Amino acid sequence: MLILALYKAVPARTTKIVTIGGVLKREEMDLVMNPFDNKAVEAADFLKRAYGGKVISLTMGPDFKLKPIASNLFEAPVEGVDESYILSDRRMAGADTWATAYTLALGIKKIVDTHLSALDELLSLLRSRTSPQEFREKAKELYEKNLVPNIIYSELPTLKGSTLSDRLIKGESDFEEAARVIQKVKEESERFIVVAGIKTSDGETGSTGPQVAEALSGIYGRFIPSVTYVRELEADPESGYLYVVRRIGDLLQKLRLPLPCVITISTEYRPVPPQLKARKRARLFSYGKKITESIVYNADSLNADPRNLGFAGSPTIVGPGIDIGAPPVQKFVGKTLVLSTRVEEFELNGKKYGPFEKFTKADTLPPEVLDHLREKGVVKLFSLEDLVEELFGVRVHVAAKH
Amino acid sequence: MQQNTEYKDVWVYCEVQDGALTRPTTEVIAGARKIADRMNMKVVGVMIGYNLEKVAREPIYYGADEVIVCDSPLLKSYQALPYTYVLSDMVLRLKPWAFLFVANEVGRELGARVAYKTITGLAADCIDLLVEDFVMHTPQGTLVFKDCIAQVRPDFATRIAKIFTPKHRPQMSNVRPGSFSPLPRDETRKGEIIRWEAEIPAGAFAVEVLEERRLPKSNVKLEDAKVIVSLGLGILRDASGNPRNPVEAYEHAEKLAAIIKDRLKVETEIGASRALIYAGVKELEGLIIKDRQVGQTGKTVAPDVYIAAGISGAIQHRVGIMRAKKIVAINTDPDAPIFQIAHYGVVGDVYEVLPKLVQLLGGGEVEA
Repeated sequence: MLILALYKAVPARTTKIVTIGGVLKREEMDLVMNPFDNKAVEAADFLKRAYGGKVISLTMGPDFKLKPIASNLFEAPVEGVDESYILSDRRMAGADTWATAYTLALGIKKIVDTHLSALDELLSLLRSRTSPQEFREKAKELYEKNLVPNIIYSELPTLKGSTLSDRLIKGESDFEEAARVIQKVKEESERFIVVAGIKTSDGETGSTGPQVAEALSGIYGRFIPSVTYVRELEADPESGYLYVVRRIGDLLQKLRLPLPCVITISTEYRPVPPQLKARKRARLFSYGKKITESIVYNADSLNADPRNLGFAGSPTIVGPGIDIGAPPVQKFVGKTLVLSTRVEEFELNGKKYGPFEKFTKADTLPPEVLDHLREKGVVKLFSLEDLVEELFGVRVHVAAKH
Repeated sequence: MQQNTEYKDVWVYCEVQDGALTRPTTEVIAGARKIADRMNMKVVGVMIGYNLEKVAREPIYYGADEVIVCDSPLLKSYQALPYTYVLSDMVLRLKPWAFLFVANEVGRELGARVAYKTITGLAADCIDLLVEDFVMHTPQGTLVFKDCIAQVRPDFATRIAKIFTPKHRPQMSNVRPGSFSPLPRDETRKGEIIRWEAEIPAGAFAVEVLEERRLPKSNVKLEDAKVIVSLGLGILRDASGNPRNPVEAYEHAEKLAAIIKDRLKVETEIGASRALIYAGVKELEGLIIKDRQVGQTGKTVAPDVYIAAGISGAIQHRVGIMRAKKIVAINTDPDAPIFQIAHYGVVGDVYEVLPKLVQLLGGGEVEA
């Protein structure tokens, strides 16, 4: 089972935000892993330990900024990511969720295809009636690249001697059985699972997960389900179904979905340790190596249509920003000067002022007016009592003050 | 580029629960009404489900001009694939100018899939919708796109951004609950109900709903409260920086909410900032629950009075409370961003100010 964990690098809280026309300049900011994606990596790790396969991390952005984040994931709990892919190209910059989903879906297809063609190489060797030794050599080569699971070839001490390659050499298996095993692995690879966080801490849209599913549906020409806010998770690799519990408002839905699929993992998700029995099977279908050097794909290696990438491929454009306005009048307790009572209209130096309501802010009045009102003894500092009176219409008894 | 002139009307995806429109749906209809009137277009409700006969006219009572209803036993429970199929089919054939969803679990997923499928943009978490010309400066010159929706949403930086979808139609958004006030329900409003027969491929039913159950309804009603007393991380320490038992602050807030309710005869509620909820303070377990969260990921609120106690006021929180009529901020830090948008500021200790407010409200007399 290929488990693809999507993640995004987001600006660190401490970094200075650099944008050009509303588009983040990620290459100039300190980036960290989107905190919501940690749940996706946790769920991916659980799926692998319970059902076998490998966890592949996938992201998009400037590779030199992303590599350190990708490296951390190799150490993620419990077993860490097995492989890391980064989609990096200048043409991908400035993507909205549509263009991001398009690019990620192409990346997913490319990764899945790489695994399928490795298995096809083995199948064609079998068809050409190669020798078991030659088959084993090819399997070893693919194992080193982490493209075949332990059931086909492995150097794990617990499995050595009992893999398909070993059994062919020992005459315990034949090419027909071998083809069946490889076909099974192939089918499982086609039933991949994409896991993602429910949203990112920068954009907070929650759109990318479902849009990746839609993009994959287009690429594969079939309905690929997405389920968001998954809080419980179980897979049955034999039947190819995933069982999830998701929350929609106050409704809990338990769903059975076929693979491939895309799920986003709720912050409420808690992984449970896999059963011992499951772990045994999982080991056979897991991959023995970790490739700890991120693999980088550019737009050309994805066969991407440049018109669908980055800013050019984004239907939405971020317009000018606006500040949330301060209220016209602000009063601070113990700081702001206000009128302690209503003041009727009056004349000062030939000019008319007022009338002023009780609690009118006095600091902003012309100095001579303020002085005049001060002399009349109606200027005071705004108090908590005044706040209660103005805001709630509750007048505080003089007696209640003491 | 698509010929934009053939696209018309503002669609609203209508969610039904317990035989009624959900409140956020009625809010989005009000938002749609605002931009549709500006464009001389219709507001069209779109409803998918089963046994919708009784509820089909509700969008009209709340301000829509027409409702498209797709009613089938196959569509009884929400599922992304068949619902996306039906909506995308409608969009491609009927060409709406705008399509709005509620920014909740369903609206976010469904809107995202429909937008991708119909090759258009989606602005998430909108808090307002305006109609403006969008001016784009390109190396080839300045382009003006007449009458686009400015989809107003909180920005990741510190401000609010307007998102435009200049070239693609429909312009799609999901709108945060609390952003618009529903129009009064009016049963005399007339409008057409259009039945939509969908032929959905079997493949769209790949996901099987095995079980559905409702969680106990939360009794936190931030949406309806006229006064909200909200707590933030600041309650963990007093003005001198000494740790305090935050339950005390909660009790002060509770007393304040109770006394305001009692004296002013209005609904009150206790809210919390995201920071306080995610801090996972053990003492506050069961008291400061997720349903109380105010802000971008929580609820947008519009009370008459919002009292922010010990809340520093991150942009997400400020956006969540900007529709409050009056904001009172209590914080020991005079530079806390919350003071920028507060009508009343109290630089002081929550542990002193809240009890004082309780005392004043309890002792004072209500003016007629």
